[in-house]
Amino acid sequence: MRKFKCTVCGYIVDEPNGVFEDLPSDWVCPICAATKEEFELQNEGLRSKERKIMSKVEISSDMKEMSPLEISALCTNLARGCEKQYKLEQAELFIDLAAYYKKISPLAENSNLNDLTAIIEKNLNEDIPNASAIASEAKDRGALRALVWNEKVTRILKSILSRYKKQGGAMFENTGVYVCTVCGFIYIGDNLPEVCPVCKVPNWKFEKIEGGRADV
Amino acid sequence: MSEKYAVRNIKLCTKDCLCLYVCPTGATNTENSIIDVAKCTGCGDCADACPSGAISLIPKEYPPQQPKAQAVISAMNTLLRSKSQQEKIAASLPGKLAIAIEKSNRIMAEDLIREAGYMLPQSKNTIEFLKLILVQDQSQEFPKENVEKLLEIFNKEESEKMSNNKTLENLMEAFAGESQANRKYLAYAKKAEKDGKTNVAKLFRAASDAETLHALKHFEVAGKINSTADNLKDGIEGETYEYKEMYPPFIEQAKKEGNNAAVMTFTFAMKAEEVHAKLYQDALNNLDSNQEVFYYLCPVCGNIEKYVPEKCSICNVSGDRFIKY
Repeated sequence: MRKFKCTVCGYIVDEPNGVFEDLPSDWVCPICAATKEEFELQNEGLRSKERKIMSKVEISSDMKEMSPLEISALCTNLARGCEKQYKLEQAELFIDLAAYYKKISPLAENSNLNDLTAIIEKNLNEDIPNASAIASEAKDRGALRALVWNEKVTRILKSILSRYKKQGGAMFENTGVYVCTVCGFIYIGDNLPEVCPVCKVPNWKFEKIEGGRADV
Repeated sequence: MSEKYAVRNIKLCTKDCLCLYVCPTGATNTENSIIDVAKCTGCGDCADACPSGAISLIPKEYPPQQPKAQAVISAMNTLLRSKSQQEKIAASLPGKLAIAIEKSNRIMAEDLIREAGYMLPQSKNTIEFLKLILVQDQSQEFPKENVEKLLEIFNKEESEKMSNNKTLENLMEAFAGESQANRKYLAYAKKAEKDGKTNVAKLFRAASDAETLHALKHFEVAGKINSTADNLKDGIEGETYEYKEMYPPFIEQAKKEGNNAAVMTFTFAMKAEEVHAKLYQDALNNLDSNQEVFYYLCPVCGNIEKYVPEKCSICNVSGDRFIKY
């Protein structure tokens, strides 16, 4: 009997309730809404667990080379760090600083959702496995934790984009769009899981996305 | 353990208000629900009493952050760059989904950079970063005053931390100095007695006792006196270090230099410290025993026995000279 496991939330599809491959192509994980593609046959390791460092090409970690948007993310991260310590004054100062860097960041030109798909593929095939191998080698379990969440959320983004390509805006017309404020997991649907399928935080930490930008 | 203060997570608070009943200073009772740090003594009674687990105690000073390998930082930054790129693309697209993707990528980017060495806002890395953008970014809209304010807060915290540490260092240095003076004056007092200078001997003895008072107080203020069990463990550690690591090379060196008196005093001390370590361990094992024990000190080499020996096992002095404790 074969079992297929969701690589995002761990949900298991048991055969012989049906042959996995026969599930409709628009079938998604009932817990986290990952597409069929994100499932793997258990015990066969479709995705090799062996991690190899593909490249140690160093990009400079010098702050001088950071883009405004990266600096903005650094500042919102630090603001969160202050909030957790109940240092609200410092948090506000960092939030303002982050807003400044977000504002001066140039907008992407002539981009579309397909550009995202290409970067996501590169993340999943290259960047994340590479970083995971390096973090394993350095025995840095904190970094590995971030990478595990990162990979799962990236898979969900991939699933959502592939569904969007087929279904268009209809996929979230009469339903909620939620983002987990802890790990970035996106849920589109009416049955928000009790806890985040990726980071396991209770669902009151999710933010519901209201409205939408008409144009930027 | 560092000093702590209480904080309330308002999202978990169920307004049972037990914290108001138990707080000895009224720090928990405020119009904005934020516990008053200035009043909080860090006793923890509110956290213990809270039925919802909404109150926790957090330290005033945080430990230094775990070091990060350069290779990990680089790999995390590569991925960070990619997430920011995705945020940028999503930010240029219309629709609810684009907003969700933009936010999701920002959250992932934050997590990556946190694990690339920017976890604690008040850490050295952050301070360096703030200093850098201050000199680097001179555009009109740059919120310079924010950065200056943050640096001012963090530098103040840092200097408070440093000054606390410096005082502790000073206390221990004074403890060492006073302890030495105590023994030194005792040695001088003995010499004065031998020379028949009774008045000087008395002064040295009084001064020696005065230094003991100072040393004991410094040691206490430095917070070095713990439970008796912990104090025994500390004693074992100190004595073991001396007989295993400190004295053997001292003895070797004294032999090389032909200083036989030093060889002897070091050897007596080394052997006696080993006995002391064993006796401390023995006392630790029998800490709860009510049976009275007597100790006998060899006045020549510092050996301690639990019975009067015929001769000292270290220096051979006759047992009848041992001093009972």
